[in-house]
Amino acid sequence: MNSQTLASTVNRGPQAAISTETRLKLYRSMQECRVLEKRAYDLFMQNLIKGTSHLALGQEAIAAGFGLAMQKGDYTFCTYRGHNHTLVRGVSMTEILGELMGNASGLMRGKGGSMHLTSVKHNMMGSYAIIGAHLTIANGAAWSAQYRGTDQVAVCFFGDGTTNIGAFHEALNFAVIWKLPIVFVCENNLYMEYTSIYDVTAVEHPAADRASAYGLEPVLIDGNDVDVVYRTAMRALDLARKGGGPSLIEAQTYRHGGHSRADPGKYRPDEEVQAWLAKDPIPHYRQRLLQLGIGEAEIKKIEDETKAQIDAATETARNAPPTPLELADKDLWADGGSAWRN
Amino acid sequence: MNVLMPQLGETVAEGTVAKWHKQVGDKIALDELLFDVETDKVSMEVTAIAAGVITKILVPAGATVDVGTVLAVIEESAGATAAAPAAQPAAPAPAPAPVAAAPVEAPPPSWYAAMPPAMNQAAEQYTPPAAAAAAPGAAAAHASAQRDSHQRLSPAVRRLAAEYRLDLATVSGSGRNGRITRRNVLEFIQTRQSAPTQVAAAPPVAKLAPSPAAAPVARAPAPGPVPASQLGTKVAFTRIRRLTADHMVRSKATSPHVLQAVEVDFHRVDQVRKAVRDSWKAKHGHSLTYLPFIGNAVCRALQDFPHLNSSVEGDSLFLHEHVNLAIAVDLGAEGLVAPVVKSAEKLSVAQLADAIADIAHRSRTNRLKPDDFSGGTYTLSNSGTFGTLITAPIINQPQVAILSTDGVRKKPVVVETSEGDAIAIRPVGVLAQSFDHRAVDGAYSAAFLDRLRRLLETSNWSVEV
Amino acid sequence: MAELTYREAVAAGMQQEMRRDPNVVFLGEDVAAAGGVFKTTVGLLEEFGAKRVRDTPISEQAILGAAMGAAMTGLRPIAEIMFSDFFAVCWDIVANEIAKTRYMTDGQVKLPLVIKSGNGGGARFGAQHSQAVENWAMAVPGLKVVAPAFPADVKGLMAAAIRDDDPVLFFESKSLYAVKGEVPEGEHIVPLGKANVVRQGSDVTIVALALMVPRALKAADILKQQHGIDATVIDLRSLVPLDTQTILTEVAKTGRLVTVEENPRLCGWGAEISSIVSEELFWDLDGPIVRVTTPHIPLSAANNLEDMQLPNPERIVASVRQLVD
Repeated sequence: MNSQTLASTVNRGPQAAISTETRLKLYRSMQECRVLEKRAYDLFMQNLIKGTSHLALGQEAIAAGFGLAMQKGDYTFCTYRGHNHTLVRGVSMTEILGELMGNASGLMRGKGGSMHLTSVKHNMMGSYAIIGAHLTIANGAAWSAQYRGTDQVAVCFFGDGTTNIGAFHEALNFAVIWKLPIVFVCENNLYMEYTSIYDVTAVEHPAADRASAYGLEPVLIDGNDVDVVYRTAMRALDLARKGGGPSLIEAQTYRHGGHSRADPGKYRPDEEVQAWLAKDPIPHYRQRLLQLGIGEAEIKKIEDETKAQIDAATETARNAPPTPLELADKDLWADGGSAWRN
Repeated sequence: MNVLMPQLGETVAEGTVAKWHKQVGDKIALDELLFDVETDKVSMEVTAIAAGVITKILVPAGATVDVGTVLAVIEESAGATAAAPAAQPAAPAPAPAPVAAAPVEAPPPSWYAAMPPAMNQAAEQYTPPAAAAAAPGAAAAHASAQRDSHQRLSPAVRRLAAEYRLDLATVSGSGRNGRITRRNVLEFIQTRQSAPTQVAAAPPVAKLAPSPAAAPVARAPAPGPVPASQLGTKVAFTRIRRLTADHMVRSKATSPHVLQAVEVDFHRVDQVRKAVRDSWKAKHGHSLTYLPFIGNAVCRALQDFPHLNSSVEGDSLFLHEHVNLAIAVDLGAEGLVAPVVKSAEKLSVAQLADAIADIAHRSRTNRLKPDDFSGGTYTLSNSGTFGTLITAPIINQPQVAILSTDGVRKKPVVVETSEGDAIAIRPVGVLAQSFDHRAVDGAYSAAFLDRLRRLLETSNWSVEV
Repeated sequence: MAELTYREAVAAGMQQEMRRDPNVVFLGEDVAAAGGVFKTTVGLLEEFGAKRVRDTPISEQAILGAAMGAAMTGLRPIAEIMFSDFFAVCWDIVANEIAKTRYMTDGQVKLPLVIKSGNGGGARFGAQHSQAVENWAMAVPGLKVVAPAFPADVKGLMAAAIRDDDPVLFFESKSLYAVKGEVPEGEHIVPLGKANVVRQGSDVTIVALALMVPRALKAADILKQQHGIDATVIDLRSLVPLDTQTILTEVAKTGRLVTVEENPRLCGWGAEISSIVSEELFWDLDGPIVRVTTPHIPLSAANNLEDMQLPNPERIVASVRQLVD
């Protein structure tokens, strides 16, 4: 591995070319994420999704960019705001909606809920609700790959608020000293729940400004430009795969809705919201595709297809039977049961 | 460590220090002789169970004190550091006082000194005592004889008392303040079971002595051990035999049995039996015996004498609404069973015959269900297959009566005709009822038997089949 | 048979399984080069190498998180939490993540991991380094919990814990590390969920765990020799899965139960046993169920105070004598 760090290859040097095919895939992926989250929003308003749901509307570029850059064997770890990260690994919309609606069609048949979407067969190793914990767990998956000598990489997504919790610091230090094949991606949407991240963080860039504390290069990117995300992801994954150790990437973005469905997000100033809505990653990329010579028809086709996808998924998930009651005491243990005594 | 007055016997509450072998200030080693103790039954030497120095002697030689009194104090020579907990090794191990468990074979590793003492000492090591335990006083301690007026009855004691129908006033307690313990009850039951005759304190109303007969009556087990000089073969009880034995003993212990019998002329029954014999067998697949007739008559008689279709519960008699007739079936090597025909009073003789045949068949083919055994209120025991004269059956608890039907044979009887008395040859058999004298008296039982006999001798049986 | 100390038996159990299965890996603070601060893992680095036996920074959350992530992706990790008191530092990973993830993911995830930890008092370490916290673990659904008392069980249960496909918390009694015992050589497994009747008596049943087992045995000897009371002693060994059948069978024989726990008075494991027995064996009890515990106070550092606080044979004897009449 040469001495060039990830940051320097991102911020300087030639931009790697992205094929049209890849660009269309990126657009499709973002579009799928968008319709999924919008549908989740609508179903919540219709009371078909209960409990709580954390939507990532506006943050599609990060999920899509990484999703396409990752290989099948790579591991995803993300937070409770993980519907998109689950979708981009190949899990069906039906299973995601079904899990949100809590019935038998769900990814975990309703046993986990919105905050814990997991699909091991897609190497989507879980969405985690306790802030920071999964960074340490992602390290474990990376260690496992390192131990087994495969070229798998763990990618760990988290929010800006995570950078202030203990587990973040333990995990970063740990990953660096063991030189683990892991990419830490901070989706900085500027708000930790209802509070501006700047009010509660000692440094300006919650992740990038901490990188040097762990001997890592600071990487700060526009998380709403899917091409940038994609290139950054490719390089970070490549570095890890070749034994170059961890990366910490801060991708700036913005969420269109509140922290959770229960939160209308009124704590953010109107001008700020408007400014960021104008930087919505999807219309931006649509524009770029047209500029690059991709036809309107092809783009429209993607939009129509994703709409049909989400409608079909909604129909299936809505009509699915409820979770069988027998599942309540199953699968606590590896043997499928839950007995604690004889 | 305190040296206590040991308990040298079950009923011993105190002891006398006969002699001290050590003085205050003396060193003492494990297992070394410390003092002699005497009771009115026994005298023995007591050795030390810890090593150290005698710092106090609190009870002088010649003094008598209660069991458990502190007699002396030994200051133990503990391990090198004070870190060892105060726990003494209770085992008389040959080595002296416990010290650090550092391996003596090799020098300790370099990290040893840095390790906290508790992790380098085997103060917590448990060594089981030598097989020959230096144990006086093996039985459970007795408290003083003061009786607790509340009579604290634990759940175990209550349950056993209910199961075995014990009057706890007759059980003595050896627990604290005279509490009746579970062990007291279990021992009481065992004592009772080995000598059943002494418990049947019923007034002597029985007119017929119970005679040894074939099953279902079991003989009481012989008291005392069999002399070794007797030649013979030992046959261990099967589980069924054991259960039967237990039930029989308990039944006799519970109910004061009285036997009464009547002689019945089965002439009219026989007429009907003979008339339908072949067609019956062809239609029903079994022979029509006397038993369903007797059963039917019993059910009808019990309507007028309901106290014989009951159970004793404490101070009262519970009269059962239905006659659930238990029919004793001898399965030979498999023992006895008494499956139940429920609500037999609703059945005709024909229906009863079929029901009896069915349960007999299912008994022999091992197809009885638990429900078949439950709820019996009166039992019929058909002893007659071997032509016996009379049987004194044992009541099937918690019922209060049981009827044995013995052999029916042709006998000359006196019949009254319009021309005067004449001799006729009639089929005659004895019906013998054992009843529980707690529930009814002899006159009641006799009246029932009389009614039973009349029903059998005068009913129009042809309409029943 | 070999005579090993309790601490040697820990390493022996790990060694047995690490030889057998190359997917077994081990991480913790000072566990590799130093062989563990309590010397329970001496020799493992030398035999299995730095790839399989790894020292970590002081980062309990990162240690357990790494164990969980590795267990999710094909390895069978053993992690050490040096003092069980430190579970409080990383309890999120134990109780919220490890214990629940298989269930929440509808059985997609398997977590064959072991967390070993130095538990309990008696070493004068003071309140924050002397707690017995196996009851914390027992209270969380999704964790298996074992706490051996004798070297043979240390080796056997460690091996069984490593082979178990579920998360197992393996509590070592710090005060028993130097105790010796006969340990079978060669492959030795003691199944989880099986208690051991270490002394058969007839007057009372004493149920104990870990450090309390040898103390209960010492108490039983005193009871027999000085008071004519013959006690059964059960070494529980495993809290989850719990060998309820052995407890119920043995208590039914004597009608009396005394539990001896190192946990503080409230909500120790003895409370659960007491509840189960009083509910399921009520009609066989000849007296109330008695629990001998540490008082509901943090453990003191001074010798005499700690000795008074932890249940000792004298206190066990006194409790039994009060119960048995």
